[in-house]
Amino acid sequence: MTMTAPESSLPRDFADLEPFVAYWAGETNDIRWDRRSRAPMEQIRRFYDAMLPRADEALTYLEQFPLGEAPADATRLLCLLLSLPHAAMAVEFHRQPRAAASPFPHGMNVAKGPWPQGW
Amino acid sequence: MTKYEPEMQKSAFPKLTEPNGLDTGPIPIEPYISPEWFEKEREQIFGRAWLCMGRIEQLPEPDTYIVKEIEVRGVIALITRDKADKVRAFHNVCSHRANMIVQDSAGKGSRFVCKYHNWAYRNDGDCIGVPDRANFFNLDIKKCGLTPIVCDVWEGWIFINLQKVPEVSLKEFLGPFGEAFTNAPAPSAEHAFNVNVSTMKANWKTTIDAFCESYHVPVLHPDTVGATFANDSNPYSRPLSGHARGAHRTMTTFGNPDYVPPEHALVERLAYSNLDLGNTLGANDAKEIQALLDHPAINPRRVPNWATEIAWIFPNFLIFYSPGGFFTLEFWPLSVNSTRWVARMHIPKAKDVRQRFQQEHHNCRMAEIFLEDVGNLERQQRAMESGAKTEIVLQDGEFMLRHSIETIRKWVAAKTVREALA
Ligand code: FES
Ligand SMILES: [Fe+2]
Repeated sequence: MTMTAPESSLPRDFADLEPFVAYWAGETNDIRWDRRSRAPMEQIRRFYDAMLPRADEALTYLEQFPLGEAPADATRLLCLLLSLPHAAMAVEFHRQPRAAASPFPHGMNVAKGPWPQGW
Repeated sequence: MTKYEPEMQKSAFPKLTEPNGLDTGPIPIEPYISPEWFEKEREQIFGRAWLCMGRIEQLPEPDTYIVKEIEVRGVIALITRDKADKVRAFHNVCSHRANMIVQDSAGKGSRFVCKYHNWAYRNDGDCIGVPDRANFFNLDIKKCGLTPIVCDVWEGWIFINLQKVPEVSLKEFLGPFGEAFTNAPAPSAEHAFNVNVSTMKANWKTTIDAFCESYHVPVLHPDTVGATFANDSNPYSRPLSGHARGAHRTMTTFGNPDYVPPEHALVERLAYSNLDLGNTLGANDAKEIQALLDHPAINPRRVPNWATEIAWIFPNFLIFYSPGGFFTLEFWPLSVNSTRWVARMHIPKAKDVRQRFQQEHHNCRMAEIFLEDVGNLERQQRAMESGAKTEIVLQDGEFMLRHSIETIRKWVAAKTVREALA
């Protein structure tokens, strides 16, 4: 019997992004937003720097599936990709994990939508 | 295509306060901080005004329902749509021992069963089942229906009134606003993503006021949205038009036509690479958008560089129309200095993954903006309560706040609703 490397949970061409899956492939908008809000800036930056150069390629890859009907590995890639705008809030707008002088924790949540991978 | 006036000159910002019949003096802080005043609002405003519950599309098919809590009146409203598409509202309270019947916030079903002793009701309010009925004492099941709440629908917007017999009809309540906004389209009304703020520590008026002036936008939201609301031609984001409409009011805000995502904002650029920049909500039904752009009350001066038409339905409901669609905000007082609010951002169902990516960017940007407001308003409320000031001053661009507080003071003082509306 030969030992095989543990399989990537992402489509093969994106296997190098595997280290980010556990934290950044949150299943809903609300989870992705909450994870970004709790992460230190270095962690947000590492994800942003790794995901941004692959974003267009990931979008192109995902375009082969009707929205909401992708296989599990592609859906995971979509969730990961959808965390990029959240990371961008910190990197491109606030230059820190959260907006200056905005409360955290707070009583705000994204309750529903959009679809898929929103709710 | 809509015909627009030539580009507006700086000097052409219309005056809003005095032409709308408002005076220009300072405004007392008391209504924002006084528990006694809050008790008056509870009775005179929330007890008498028609209250907007949202869109009819929240009841997407026959035999669906929603539950809406109106904490300021201690009311839990069950709103139903029956087979014949009639919309009704009831108190969500059982006729047996007055337990709460429906426990979720929305769903599908033509009948409701109380989980305490299984009394059953149809969505027209009739009681249709009482277990072990023979053991009651002359129980008249015809009198055991749900307690109705007066409910009416205007242009797809559901309203309730908590007076047993409303003093004025919904039509009379909406008055000139209703006339002006008849036929206003509601693109993508069936789809929304919601942002809920379960509780924040500020008066409901402090909170709603912040969404009805653009003066603060370049200051409080410089990185998230400021640059889209101001530019050198309008550095203070002055409104482009404004109208008092009975108890209600509307205002057109400025959109920076030159806005492009800054060089370093690579994700923002990627998200918007296939879209018109005016259209932050993404592709929507073109015909409905055209109808929105063509509606005479939305951007009534037909200026090309508008961002939103804010419609403030008295007392606590906002509709934001933009060139990309619409969203709503509703603000529910919990106490004199705490508020619950809900944003419903109506967006089309994404057609492809690039649009879905753009929507995520739009959504998280909106959530960031809202959160900037939350922190700011909680600070403002504490400062207002310090007693340092007894008055606030308002500029011309803040005319909606002035019209709101004047209307509120009128309703609090008026013996009858008709007098308040006069
Ligand atoms: S209280 Fe509802 S069935 Fe008894
Ligand atoms: Fe704001």
